[in-house]
Amino acid sequence: MSTGAKKRIMKEYGECMADTPPGMKINFDEQNMTEWEVLMDGPDGSSYAGGHFKLKITFPNEYPFKPPVVSFKTKIYHPNVSNDDKGSMCLGLLRPDEWKPPNKVVAVLRLIHNLLVEPNPDDSIEPSIANEYKENRKEFDKNAKDWVKRYAK
Amino acid sequence: MEQSRAHSQPPPRVPAAQTPARRDTMFCHKCQDEWYRDEHGLTCPACGSDFTEIVEEDNDPRDVHIHDHSDDTESMPDLEEAPAHLNPFAHHNPWRDAGHDADDPEETDISQLRYQQVAPGRFTVTGTVYRTMSPSGAGRGNPNVGGFASMLNNIIGAQIGQMHTVPPQNDEAERQQSGSGTTPAGHRFHYQANARLFPRDANHAGPQIEPVDEMSNVLAGLMAAFGEPPGGPRAAQNHDPYAPPAHPLNPLLAMLTGFMPGGNAAAGDFVYSQEALDRVISQLMEQTSTSNAPGPAPQSDIDALPRKHVSMDMLGPEGRAECSICMDEVNIGEEVTELPCHHWFHHGCVAMWLAEHDTCPHCRQGISEHSENAGGTTAGGAATASHGAATATQNPQNANTGSRSMPGAFDVEGDGSLDHPFVVPSASPEQRRG
Repeated sequence: MSTGAKKRIMKEYGECMADTPPGMKINFDEQNMTEWEVLMDGPDGSSYAGGHFKLKITFPNEYPFKPPVVSFKTKIYHPNVSNDDKGSMCLGLLRPDEWKPPNKVVAVLRLIHNLLVEPNPDDSIEPSIANEYKENRKEFDKNAKDWVKRYAK
Repeated sequence: MEQSRAHSQPPPRVPAAQTPARRDTMFCHKCQDEWYRDEHGLTCPACGSDFTEIVEEDNDPRDVHIHDHSDDTESMPDLEEAPAHLNPFAHHNPWRDAGHDADDPEETDISQLRYQQVAPGRFTVTGTVYRTMSPSGAGRGNPNVGGFASMLNNIIGAQIGQMHTVPPQNDEAERQQSGSGTTPAGHRFHYQANARLFPRDANHAGPQIEPVDEMSNVLAGLMAAFGEPPGGPRAAQNHDPYAPPAHPLNPLLAMLTGFMPGGNAAAGDFVYSQEALDRVISQLMEQTSTSNAPGPAPQSDIDALPRKHVSMDMLGPEGRAECSICMDEVNIGEEVTELPCHHWFHHGCVAMWLAEHDTCPHCRQGISEHSENAGGTTAGGAATASHGAATATQNPQNANTGSRSMPGAFDVEGDGSLDHPFVVPSASPEQRRG
C-alpha cells in the first residue's frame, strides 16, 4: 500500500473521530490501519435496536481506487448483509463499479447506519430476507429482533 | 431336428436319445451331486432323491444353485447389493443378444429394458434418474429437474438403443460395468447437495447461492455418459475409459456444451430459475466490476490534460481545498491537473485513477479527446451516460459548460427551442461503447 493511501486512511480516521455517526465506535490499530473494527449499536427505532454489532472495514491495497470491504462479524438478519461467515455488505457506493476515490469512509459508515434503519430490499444480497421484508414486515421484524437477542447482545 | 422347446414339456425332460453325441449329465437338486445318466439313471446315486435334472447347455441347473434367482424374471435383485454375476441385466442385454437368436423379452423385461438402455455401464445417466427418489440433496424444484432428467434419459436411452446394436465393450468391461449397479466403476460421479456456483469471496461479496446441483448433475451425468468430462475437477472423475471414442450423441453434447461459455465451463454453471440467473449475473458484474465501468484512458490523453495552478477561486468557502483522492490539502500556487469537467486533482493522484478508468473520479465524465468530441466513441461516453442522472446533481457546475448540459451527455445541436430542437447524433449507445 502506498504511503499516500496510508496517509489518506489516517486522515479519514481523524475525520471519522471528529464526526462519528451516531452509535458507532471505531477501534483503530496504527500497526494495521487497513483493518478497522467498528462497534455499532443498533439504531433506535429500528429492528436492530438494543443490538451491538461488530463490523470490520478492510481497506484494499488499491484504496482509495477500490472500495473498502465491509463485513459484519456479528450475525445480523438483514437483506443487504450476507447470511454467512463473511457477513458481507455490498451495495450502493460500496459496489466496485459505483465506488469513486472521493468517497470517504465516513460516508460508508453513514450508509451502514442508514441501511440498518432502512434496509434496501431492492438491492439485496439475501433475496429471501428481502422478500420477507417486502411481503411480511411483521415476520421480518420478529426474525431480526430474534437474531439481535441471539447474536447481538 | 425338432427340439422340445416349443412343447409344454419342461426342458429337463429332453430325452437323451436326441443328443446322442454326448452323455447326459445329471444333477441332484438335493445334494448337488453330479453323475452320468447312462451310469446311474435319473435317481441320485448319492442321496436317493429323485429331485434331479438333466444338465443341458442352455439349461444348467447348477447355475441355478450358484446364481440363485437368475432365471426369475419377476424379481429384480437390488443392484447395489447384487454381486456382478447376479445382475439381471447381464442376462438381458439386448445389444449383446442382438446378434443371436435370443428369446423375446417378456413383458416384465420390457419395463426393465428402458432402465437397461441407460444402465449398462457406460451410461451413468441412470443415476440421475433415480436420484430424484433419493432423500439427500432433495432441494426445491427437484421434481421438475427429475422430470427433465427422465426426459433426457428417455431421449438418450432410445437413441442409444437404436445406435448400439453391437456393444463396443469386451467382457471385462461388461463385467465391470455391471459390477456396481447404477454407478459402475470408471464413471462414478458425486452428488453435492450444496454445490455453489463458485466460492464466496470477501472481496466480492455475492448473494447466497441456492444449491444448483440438480441440473448440474443431470448434465454431469450426460457428460459422463459421453465419456467427455465437461471440465472441472469433479467432472474429471467422470471419464469413462470404456466409452466409445466418438459417441453418436456427441452432437447433443456439443449442443449442451454450447450453452456454456467457452464450452468448458464447470458443470455448476447452470441455473434454472430467474432468481438464480439474476444472482449469477450480478455476481458476474461484481466480479468483472471494471468491465461495465469505462476502461483505462490512453496515456497520451492523461499526459495531455491541462495543468493549472491553484488559485483563490478554486478554494472552497472556508478558504481551503484538498485533492479528493489523497485528501491532502492544496495550497495556492500548487500545480494540479484539471479534467475537462473542471474537476481537478493532483496529477499523480488522478493519473493513477485514469490509468484504470477513463472518467473523472468525481463525476465520471470521460476525459479523452474523442470522448469529448462528437458525443464520444469510447466507453467513457456510454458509461457516463448511464450515470447521467446521478452526475447531473453531483456536478452542477457542469450545467453551464456549453452544450454539455450533463456529463457524458450526447453532444446535441440546437438549443431546445421550437425552431431549433435538440438533435442527437444517431449513434446508439452500443455503437459508442465499442
